[in-house]
This record gives sequence, C-alpha cells and structure tokens, in this order.
Amino acid sequence: MLPNSIQWYFPTKVKEAAKLIHKDGIILHGGGTKILEPQPRSSVKGLVDISALGLNYIKVTGNIVHIGSGATFADVVAWSRDKKRLTVLSDSLSHAASTPLRNRITIGGSIKDFPMWSNLYAPLLALDAKIDIIGERSGIFSLEEYATSPLIKSKHLVREIRVVEKHDIRSGVKIFHVVRFEYPIFTIAAACTMDKNIVRDARIFVTGVKKKLVRLVTAEKVFRGHSISDELINSAANQVSLTFVPDYKFGAAYKEKVAKVYFKDLLREIKESIR
Amino acid sequence: MFKYVKHSVEKIDGLALVTGEEHYTNDFSFRNMLYVSILHSTFPYAKIEDIDDSAARAMDGVVEVLSYKNVKKILYTTAGQGFPEPSPYDSVLFGDVMRFVGDNVCAVAAETKEIADAALAKVKVRYKQLKPVLDFEKAEGSSTVIHQDDGAFPKIPVFYDASKNIAAKVEAEVGNFDDAFAKSPKKIEHQFYVPYASHCALEPHAAVSYLDFRGRLVIISSTQVPFHVRRIVSVVAEIPVSKIRVIKPRIGGGFGGKQEVLLEPIVALVTWRTKRPAKLVYSRKEVFTSTRTRHQYRTTFKVGYNKDGAINALHLDALENSGGYGSHALTVLANAGSKTLPLLNKIQNLKFTGRGVYTNLPVGGAYRGYGATEAYFGYGQIVDMVCEDTGCDIVEYYKKWTIKSGETSPIFKALGEGKEGVAMIVTSTSLNECIHVGAKLSGWYEKRKLYGGDFNKGKRDKRGIGMVALMQGSAIPEIDMASAYMKMNDDGSFNLMVGATDLGTGSDTVLAQIASEVLDTPVEKFIVTSSDTDHTPFDTGAYASSTTYLSGHAVKKCAESIKNQILKVGADLLTVSIGEVEVEESRVVVRRKGKQDHHQEVSFAEICQSSLYQKNQFQIQATASHVSPKSPPPFAAHFIEIEVDTFTGIIKLLNYVATVDCGTPINPVLAEGQAEGAIVNGIAYALFEDYYFSPQGILLNDTFGKYGMLTAHDIPPITVKLVDSFEESGPFGAKSISEININGALPGIANAFFNATGKRLHRAPFMPEYVLSVINE
Amino acid sequence: MKISFTINSRKRDLELQPNETLLNVLRKNGLTEVKSGCEEGECGACLVLLDGKPVNSCQVLAMSVRSKKITTVKGIGTLHSPHIIQKAFAQGGADQCGFCSPGMVLAAYSLLQKNPNPTREEIAEGLDGNLCRCTGYVKIVEAVHEAASKLRNEKSQAE
Repeated sequence: MLPNSIQWYFPTKVKEAAKLIHKDGIILHGGGTKILEPQPRSSVKGLVDISALGLNYIKVTGNIVHIGSGATFADVVAWSRDKKRLTVLSDSLSHAASTPLRNRITIGGSIKDFPMWSNLYAPLLALDAKIDIIGERSGIFSLEEYATSPLIKSKHLVREIRVVEKHDIRSGVKIFHVVRFEYPIFTIAAACTMDKNIVRDARIFVTGVKKKLVRLVTAEKVFRGHSISDELINSAANQVSLTFVPDYKFGAAYKEKVAKVYFKDLLREIKESIR
Repeated sequence: MFKYVKHSVEKIDGLALVTGEEHYTNDFSFRNMLYVSILHSTFPYAKIEDIDDSAARAMDGVVEVLSYKNVKKILYTTAGQGFPEPSPYDSVLFGDVMRFVGDNVCAVAAETKEIADAALAKVKVRYKQLKPVLDFEKAEGSSTVIHQDDGAFPKIPVFYDASKNIAAKVEAEVGNFDDAFAKSPKKIEHQFYVPYASHCALEPHAAVSYLDFRGRLVIISSTQVPFHVRRIVSVVAEIPVSKIRVIKPRIGGGFGGKQEVLLEPIVALVTWRTKRPAKLVYSRKEVFTSTRTRHQYRTTFKVGYNKDGAINALHLDALENSGGYGSHALTVLANAGSKTLPLLNKIQNLKFTGRGVYTNLPVGGAYRGYGATEAYFGYGQIVDMVCEDTGCDIVEYYKKWTIKSGETSPIFKALGEGKEGVAMIVTSTSLNECIHVGAKLSGWYEKRKLYGGDFNKGKRDKRGIGMVALMQGSAIPEIDMASAYMKMNDDGSFNLMVGATDLGTGSDTVLAQIASEVLDTPVEKFIVTSSDTDHTPFDTGAYASSTTYLSGHAVKKCAESIKNQILKVGADLLTVSIGEVEVEESRVVVRRKGKQDHHQEVSFAEICQSSLYQKNQFQIQATASHVSPKSPPPFAAHFIEIEVDTFTGIIKLLNYVATVDCGTPINPVLAEGQAEGAIVNGIAYALFEDYYFSPQGILLNDTFGKYGMLTAHDIPPITVKLVDSFEESGPFGAKSISEININGALPGIANAFFNATGKRLHRAPFMPEYVLSVINE
Repeated sequence: MKISFTINSRKRDLELQPNETLLNVLRKNGLTEVKSGCEEGECGACLVLLDGKPVNSCQVLAMSVRSKKITTVKGIGTLHSPHIIQKAFAQGGADQCGFCSPGMVLAAYSLLQKNPNPTREEIAEGLDGNLCRCTGYVKIVEAVHEAASKLRNEKSQAE
C-alpha cells in the first residue's frame, strides 16, 4: 500500500526521468501493476510516471527490432502477430497474465523487476537480446549480462530492448502452467541458428528455477555443429540438470521431470520446423 | 402445452445487470457511514490473554472497536439454517479463543476504510498459543480439544462430543451390512479424499447497515438467507426482530457461501451502538480464509458383490473436516449418504457412518453439492470398478440398478437432516433416457471400446471416456418453507412478493413465469420483489436446491388463489356463473360447451378497476405457503472424455456431455446455465482447486491466481441436454437443477482416467504430479 | 486534489488521493457499475476501457491516467439503449449473478472492435482476464459469438 503523501512526477524527457531516479524513495511507474502488488510500500515517497517519455514504441531499423521499455505486453503480442516477426515473443507473452493486465504490464517494468514467473526473459535471452539502460551505469549490454550481474539491481531506467532478427534462427518456447491464469511455473525458450540443417549456435534458457534463470550450456553444446535428431535431443536432455524450488503445488523433482519433457518437446518442435 | 413455463424468457433483471444499473450490497453507501475492518487471528489455535485497543481508539477517525471485551458472548451457529438449527451452537461473535487462522479477533469502525485498516495494526493482542490440530484424520480423540469449556452444545437432540472433537455424527443401517458383506463372493474396499474449496462467488461477502427514520435497523446484505439473518442478528446483537429489516439486493453469486451469517451481526452492532451507517466488505483473501468452505472429506467404501455385478452390501464411511466450528457439519455429512445411497436402491444391505471433526483449519459450510459431491467421487468410481470386474456394461448397469419411478429407498427415511428422514416414493425420473441420450451424444460405445482397446498402446497421450449417474434432492422435506404474496393492480399487472432469494440464478424470473402460466398473463406484467423482510413473506432461503421446486410451488398456489378471485369478479361482471368462465390472455372469457363466446369477455384491467373502485370493492390479493412432504431427486448422467499426458500427468478434457432430468425446466436456458456453471465448478474442483496450508495452518493460495480459477480458456466443449420428466409435486412438473451437476466431474474424470490408463485416482484434485505418480505406480 | 478525466465521453473532475486506484476513484464518485471482486487484478470485474483498451481499474493508479478516456459498461450502452453485446448477453443467458457482466461485456466489446469475426479460441483469449463462477463461460462465449455475427450484419447492412 502506497502512502497518500506520495509525490507524482511526469517527466517528458528520458534525461529528466533518469535524474529523478537517484532521489531517495522514488520508483518508476510504467504500467503500475508491480507497484500495486500487495506489499508494504510506506517508504515510497514519489512515483515517476514514464509514460510520456516516448518509449512505448516497437520499431525496426535494418535487421534490429527495437522494443521501447514503455511498450506493453499487448503491444508486443499485437506487433509480433501482425508482422509475423519474433513470434516466439507473442507465443510466450500471450500466455502472460491476462488481456487487461497485458495492456498495462510494460516490457521495461518486467525486465527490471524479473519476477520468478517471468515468461519474457527466456525468449529474449534465447534471442540474445540487448538492453539499453540509463542510470548509475548507462549503455548497451547483453540482456544475459544484465540479468546475471549487479546491473539489474543498480538504479537505472530501461530505454529499450534490441533484438537482432536473423532469418536463419529457429526458436520456440514452452511454458508450464496448469490453468491459463496461473503464474507460469517455468518457461523454457530455445533459439537455434541454423546453417541449413546444422545447428551453428544454440541458446537455451530456463526461468523459474531456483537461481531464477539458467542457461543450458551443456545442452547447447550437444547440438552445436550437428543436425537435431531425436537421439541428440535425448542425450542433451539427459545432461540437463535443473534445480527447482518446491512450492505448495509442485515438488522440485516433479518440476525438473516436466522441464525435461518440455525441453525435449521444444527441441523436437524446432527440429520439425527445420524440415 | 405450456405458454410461459418451459420457455427461455429473458431474465427480468438481465438488461439492468449487463448495463451495470443493478446494485449489489457494496454499491450502497450512506452519508456519515463508518467503514469496518476485521482483525483476524494469525494463529490456528490460541487463547487471547488480553487485547489492548487503546492505541487504536486514540487514532483520529476511529469510532468503535468491538471485541470480546465489550461484546456479550452469546453462543450461536453462523449456519443460516431453519430454526432450531441442526448445526451446533459453538460460535460467538467475538471470542477469546481463536480456532483457526482467520478467526475474528476484533472489529474496528472508522471514518474511512484506510483508517480502519491502519487501526487494526495498532490493536495489541497478547496470545497464548495452543497446540493445534491441523490433520483432520488425527482430530478425533486428540489430546488437543478445540471446543473446551466454551459451553458449545447442539441445539437439537443429536450426538455431539466436543471433548473428542466430534462436531457431528451420523449413522444409519439398512439390512445387515456385515453379514451380507462377509457372504459376498467379491469384495472391494477403497478410500478417497477430496479437498477444501472456496465458492469463489465473484462478489465478496458484504453487509451495510443503517438506522431508518424511526430508528429501526436496516441491513443490506449479500446473503442467501435474509430471514435467517434477521433471526440470528436479533439473537447475537440482542435487537428485537421487530426492529430489524434485512434487504437482499442483487447478489453476486452464492453457491452456499452466503448461507452463513458472518458480517451482518458486526455491522448491526456498530450501527446499533454508534447510530451511524456501517459497511463491511471482505477482501478476497478474507473470503478465502474467514468465510466458509467446502468441507475436506475422506470417504471409505466397502462393497460386497456377486459375480454378475449385483451389489449385496455397501458401507460408506465418511470423515469430514469441519474446521474450527461446526457450521453445516451434521447436515452436509448426512447428505453425503442421503443424496448418493438411494441411487442404487436395490442394494439390500446399506450402512452409512460418518463423523464431522473439529480441527484448527478454516470452517466448512454449505457448498453446492452439499456432501453429495464429496461422496460421489468414490460412489461413482465404485460402480465403475464393480462393472469392470464383473464385465458389466456400466451404462446398462445403471439403467438396471438405479431407482425407478414408483420405487423407494429406505435411506430416504433413515437419513434426515438432524432427525429421521422422510419416506418417499420417487414419482418422476427420466434417468434411463438421460443415460441413453448421453451415451449417444458422447459417442460412448465407440469411444469406450476404442480407448479400451489398442488405441492408447505406445502412445504418450492416452484417451479415455468415463460416465457416472447422479441424483440430488429438491428442498428439505418437511423442514423448508416458502411463501409468496401477490396483489393485483388496476392495469392488470401484479406485484409478486417472495421471500425466495435470487442469487443470480434467475429465480425472480422463474417465479414470475410460474405466476404467468397460472394467470395466462405475460411475464412483464409481474413486478417481482424478492427478499426484503419488511415487504416479502417468509422463505427459508436459497439453498438445498429449493427455490424453483418449493418457492415456485408457493407462487403457483398464490397465483391460483388470485385466479379464483379474478374469475369470481369476472363472472360477476359478465353476469354468468363462475363455472362458465376461464382465464385467457389476461382476460376472463365465457366458455360454453367448450366454445368461447367472443362477445363476453372482460379484461384483467377492467376486473381490477371494478374491484378497487366500483363494485363489491376489495383488493384482489393472496398469500400462500408451501412445505413439501418430499424432496424429489433430479437425476443426471455425465459422460466425460479426457486425454492424459503420461509424461507430465496433465489431464485435458476433450468433451463433456451432461444429460439432466430436472422435471420440467421452467426456463430451459437458465436451467442449462445452472448445469453448465456447476459442471465447470466441478471440473475445477476435480482437477485444480485445493487449499494449501503452511505447517502453521496458514492458507497459502488465497488469491484467484494462486487458487487456480478457470477462465474461458480452460473449458472443454460442454453439451447439456435437458431430458424432461414430470414431477407431480412440483410446480408444472419442476424439480431442481442447481446442485446436481457439480457432482459428475470427480467420478466421471476418474473413470475416464481408468479407461485411458487402467489406474484409479483416489485423491482430488487430480494435479499432474499426483496423476503422474499414479501412472507410474 | 481534483483531476480531470473523460468518462463515457463526458469531462469530469474527480476528487482523488495520489495513491488511489482508478477503481476506488470511480466507485467513490458513483460509478458503481465498475465492480470490485478481488482488488488484485485477477477477476476482471473492475475492467474499464482506457483509451479504448481493457484494463483492470484496480491495477491502475488514477494519477497515471490523468486526462485519459475512460469507458465503463454504461459508456457502450444503457438500460434504455443497450448495445448489441449487452442484448446478446441478456437474451442468451450469459448473465447469471451479473457481477462479472460489466467487465465481461467491455472485454467482449474491445475484442470485437479489434476482431469482428473471432474464433472460439480468440474469444477465450479476449475474455481471459474475466472470471465468472456462475455460467461456466458456455453461454458467455455463445453470446459473444452471437453479438459478433449481429454486429457484422448490422455493419454490412449499413454499407
């Protein structure tokens, strides 16, 4: 619950907003869904509304897709479906929360917050997305570095996410949840850069694990330089080891078991898409 | 045959609902209103040694704090049942012993909700924690006694033993089970578990109160039982019934969850003491933890049968987790037997034993299905097992062994609601046709054979189809009472006042249709007022599948009485004898030798104008009450097709066919809607819904998202087909439909699972981890 | 403080606190057709259209949508002049208790604006933020289907 004494700021320039974040007790307000989660927020003094910064864009320059941090999940899903581009993002994000929430949840907020149930991170990481931030440290970083380093905890504003769109990439995502509205238990995304039917590079990420995020490096290695086969998929799956946290609905061992099944399903789908 | 009945008339409040005009409890606000917040216990079992509310009272804007320190401890039951209630008197409004996480510690009334909430944090409570009972299978005879020295007692003469944590006990036997079981060539014994569940009515529980111009207390409440609210508030808040008016506005769903008097006495006390309006609206978390739930159950079935499948002996033992208080403990338990065992009425030796036990967990209560849902999980599988073992075709088995028209079951008399039941002969059933039609619509024979054969061999996703036959009841015989009042207006319209409580089911419309049919007058001519204790006659309330059957009958009687008066005035005006006139399209017409004389007719408007203003003046009006000597069961057959992913344990429903005998469906679309809603709630309960507790008894999944509510996305294709019968004791042949269809999903899906995998499910919900463990057993 | 919004095409200045949700502000100002079912963004009873897009008003801080266009269910049709979708809901038995109806109708309205001929799957996705415990969604999905077809007919006749 926010105190009723909070101050609102409505900057119109990114630089203005970036300055404000250094103030004590200030949080950025994108769509506001995170801020309204039930938790004590008595230390919050001000909210910086960043909707007027002009960051709610999705644009393409050359082969780079720029997703402004103010773009909502709904914006990304609509764009991706409409243009039939980066469909792994619409496949994943259309399962996130619900229609009215997807109209409020922003890419920037979800990137910065990185909840356990995120189904934004895994596909973006598989696509080797970059992130443009401004704040204590400014610049363009790989999303993987951002997510796994103290960067994510630093005071900053996300300007945009960049994804290089390559036509030789085959990607996919699998989300485990039992009913539609439930928070995803885990999300697995994979992107394979293909040289005809040979995997030149593979990036496979799982979110929802104990460490929040894990890259399946050994599995990626199994595929590199080979064409994907059922044998290869099985052998890669056997090398996958995932540590989950048990919750009241599912045990850790069960989650790992299903994650492996989904891993195989995902790679098999990618294999099929190559044919 | 019918003109207004058996027609899908649009709900009379429909457009007002979908345009947002209608008001629910929380939509009423009054000047100078206080907002009430409740402090709930964070411990499952604790004695409050002291409450210090001085800091809260000192806050600007705090007006009143209610706790055991300033509210008299009057024992009562929160269950909104007829008087004397069959539930034990084991609750007080504010006690000094907390019996579950979520129990009421105190209430704060303040100028704003924010102040009231902030004040809760300032109330200092000194607890002495006690060792809780968090496992209902260990409650009976535990060293922890949950109701100790609090004076809890049963209001009616039934077995009750708080010293052993027994809130309710029901036993009945027909024939000699032990003997017949011992002699049976084949025997099975299985144990089944079903979990807690929340009703999840979209509207949270709410109550608003104020004093009217003459100082009477008015309570607007989201309740299924306005007259029980009036009676219980009177007792607990010590305000005479004559000083209380309870109004039920539109209700945002009940399903049994609002058959409970929880919030009303609190706002009543605040208003009575402060003379100011007061509002209390529960948060969703409070609805999950502090209102009422479906009882958790363990059922054990022992069945002895012959090689041809004939069952000689059946024993159903039920253990019910009543939670911290015994609300509905006895009656839900009795219904676990009385709504299942009569179905296969040819079994000669039947035994039912059940105990409802206290634990330090959330409190059970009324929930659509009311014990039957809990018991059908096992009952429906047991029949499938017997058929499987003896090579019987389950469809033919049900057709042969289920209760038929003209037959009875001794269970009707043996199991009542806190007393002996009422013997009854079933006079309407189309169950065999339901089974026949359902088998056809679901492709039962082809699919059962296909999936039982090689179809699933070597496949990861295995398919199966299962079926189950069901029954429920219609009202509580010789206990429930409904009444209606009607008066005629000068334009030939009618005011229809009923105590019956429309929760969103459409009962206001259904009751208007019944009056329409009697008076051959369009539905829009009836102005329905329901559930205002000042303005409508008594009705026990909307529960036990009673409204259409029981309140509908009261309306029919009432309309018939009005009709007689209209005929009398009409005949008089037409100067003919009463035997020569009849009612037709809002007129009284003369009919001689079966022929209508078109020159001799008088309209309802003319009749009423005459009676109000001109000749032998009187108000055409009537009142009628109805109590039923029986509770005719509706019947249903459900056919469910599933696919199970044997790698993950995820069960996906492919198709759901339900054929339902509710007698005459007064409004078929509304009746279908009742069935569809119940089916989806049943599916959710079978597959996903559960209460997960921390080791400290704290509910962990107390939000819709964590609980796992289904959306339009999660629904399989559902076909509901109404297969009419005609129930002589019901209005225009009607029986009930609201509850029965929640009972099918548990056994139906489990039977389909067996068809797919050859394994049995004994524990609900069928979460994938459990399902996978069963597959890999 | 007073902040101005355009609610159902009418400019209105509403009194609010800086930490208040849009849901609270609307209901406090008499727009009780916006229902409160969970205040956690999970039930959709409080759904309104914000510049034409469905949002849960309990998940929106009112200050963040200053001077925006807000549409409640009364903004698309009223008792005396109901929208085709509202008629389809009432006629098709898609309304039982009606508590989810204002939000559900708006979600359907928004869906049909974007997609006049949705498949059942698309209807389900469009309504995935609106819970209903009464109907089992069967008649709701049917009503949206029915309304879509009527709206298409109306449009083709107008052309």
